[in-house]
Amino acid sequence: MSRVFVTGIGIISPLGDTLSLNHTALKKGICGISTLQLINSNFAGKLPVGEIKTETQTFKEKLKITETGYTRNSLLALHAFIDAINDSKLSNEDITAYNTALIGANSVGGMCLTDELYKDANSKSQGSEYLSSYDGGSVTLAIQERYGMRGIINTINTACSSSANSIMYGARLIQNGLATRAIVGGSDSLAKYTINGFNSLYILSDEICRPFDSERKGLNLAEGAAFLVLESEEIVGNKKVYAELTGYCNANDAFHPSSISENADGPFLAMQGALRKANLQPNQIDFINTHGTATENNDEAESKAMLRLFEKVPPFASTKSNIGHTLGAAGAIEAVYSILNLTEQEIYKSLNYKNPIQTTGLVPVTAYTKMTINHVLSNSFGFGGNCSSLIFSKA
Amino acid sequence: MFYIHQTVCVSAQKTNGLIDLDDIQPIKDNKLQAIEPNYDAIPPAMYRRMGRAVRLASGAALPLLNTLTFNGIVIGTANGGLEDCIKFLNQIVDYNEGKLTPTNFVQSTTNAIASQLAFFSSNKGYNNTHVHRGLAFENAALDVAMMLNEFPDNSYLLGGVDEISAYQYNIESLAGSYKKESISSAEDLYNSKTTGSIPGDGCTMFAVNKQKTGATAKLKAIGTIHTDKVEEVTQYLTNFINKNLGESSLSLFLSGENGDSRHLPYYSACQNIVPNIAVERFKHLCGEYATASAFALWLACHKIQHNNLKNVLIYNNFRGKQHSFMLVENA
Repeated sequence: MSRVFVTGIGIISPLGDTLSLNHTALKKGICGISTLQLINSNFAGKLPVGEIKTETQTFKEKLKITETGYTRNSLLALHAFIDAINDSKLSNEDITAYNTALIGANSVGGMCLTDELYKDANSKSQGSEYLSSYDGGSVTLAIQERYGMRGIINTINTACSSSANSIMYGARLIQNGLATRAIVGGSDSLAKYTINGFNSLYILSDEICRPFDSERKGLNLAEGAAFLVLESEEIVGNKKVYAELTGYCNANDAFHPSSISENADGPFLAMQGALRKANLQPNQIDFINTHGTATENNDEAESKAMLRLFEKVPPFASTKSNIGHTLGAAGAIEAVYSILNLTEQEIYKSLNYKNPIQTTGLVPVTAYTKMTINHVLSNSFGFGGNCSSLIFSKA
Repeated sequence: MFYIHQTVCVSAQKTNGLIDLDDIQPIKDNKLQAIEPNYDAIPPAMYRRMGRAVRLASGAALPLLNTLTFNGIVIGTANGGLEDCIKFLNQIVDYNEGKLTPTNFVQSTTNAIASQLAFFSSNKGYNNTHVHRGLAFENAALDVAMMLNEFPDNSYLLGGVDEISAYQYNIESLAGSYKKESISSAEDLYNSKTTGSIPGDGCTMFAVNKQKTGATAKLKAIGTIHTDKVEEVTQYLTNFINKNLGESSLSLFLSGENGDSRHLPYYSACQNIVPNIAVERFKHLCGEYATASAFALWLACHKIQHNNLKNVLIYNNFRGKQHSFMLVENA
């Protein structure tokens, strides 16, 4: 099976709209979580979220959108996609080739347009311009249409692990000989829908989130997008290579729709399977980019899974403390952060941590540290028990 | 790619339990809604919380999950539980973001279907949900084909499901996806010369692996292309046939024609690529929905087995933009 390399990165998050801005902010330990502003909601002015403070209309102008039906979610995805293809120096011919795949992922689709959807679905309008923009597929289809892409095109939704699975699917297309290049990632925009959904489950924190802290109160929702260009070793040639995707695994916790089991079987199996795929021993993992949402359930379960798998748990942190939880984009955004760990040979501190969780005693990285890093494990766990882990290795 | 063993098809026709495709169930109110399966195996408390898509999928999958062992579950669904989604959305608007009950929210995530099936069967293996609109099922099938290439001894549950709810109907009606005139028969549908189709829904589940013994049929190849240009579709089909069929002949061309005059040119052009082959249509049986190709795959398997056919080529397109070809052979 062919080796799979990352040759291009595009990212937009509450820490900035370029890779370099994200890198600088992580290095300085900046938190991009702020009070909700741009959504017309009762939570505006109150709820801490990882919001990108750019109006949707501004994105439309910046990206020169003339098509109708573009949602904020599609705009974020397109923004990251453009940066990724430029970074990998792909020609139009490369992008439209039959063996170039596009695999997107998101959880909210166009449902960020709560009011339009409400009217369209309840026959209270003559039809908005977004009638074909509500489903998850619309986000990927907007990019496919804009570029006239011809290869395998797909969209995955496994909730909060969606874009870890889109990365995995793209890599597998390459390894199964169905593509030589896959542009993979995910996006999600903040939405009244998800804010109220997570609020109804009582897992939103009214303060800035504190992953792995004993006093953590829940997660902060966020928005963003990231895309990676994956290329097979056969076509990569002399191109700049950020990292190699060496391991991946998807498993299900098969326990509960919105929480992880006591033994954390799903997270354990996903991490274990990724190690097996990469042909690595647990002690070869230098750093873990945890899912670390800062919910009561996740952080304790994830800690237990790490303790089960690793004799000595490697340094770990949660970038949810920097940007919040970007849901369907989280797997891809954190893949980018994991790749930065490798290319820069450094790890970024987990913010807002004070005391360990009593039952596990695990302490995340609390200071920026330069160190030798060959393999980073990145976790993404979602509702429905959908757990996925990826391993990126130094190229 | 892989062999198809047991299947369960929940559709508007008599495809589940006692199969009788001669007794065609009529189109009602311009819709073809799936006949709900038997839900006795689902605990009542759980059943009450389920939206239509999760319910149809559970009813279709449980007979397979209860008798077979799978290494993973892969589902294609464009919209999952959209009805729950709008119910929750309506709560948000109607109660002005007040205290809301999370049930509809949790059921509305598209992966609720695959995860519910994992939960029923304590299946901790591979679990994925493909939502790429009209190619959601094809991508799920391709996923399974890759899994079986990577793990040839494994077995997977592969499914395609979508529901038609009042909300979905409203949105698609506004988008012009459905016919305005009354349609009550296959003739009405295919001879209409107007735009739009008739909505349907359903769920089809396949137990698949690499073992030829005892198999119903083999899915030989899947091809997909996104384009609105007829000549790109026919070019793709020509290559697909050269690569996968070679010199052998086709027994049947199963066409996804849906009565929408805008999509007819694609179907006619593809039929012309394989002239003198018997053509059958299926949308008058299942209606139009994003994962109707899963129904078509079931129908191809059924015809191969009962009519002793050598192979079937399925062509389907969704909204004239997402095209798929599936080549199915006798096992």
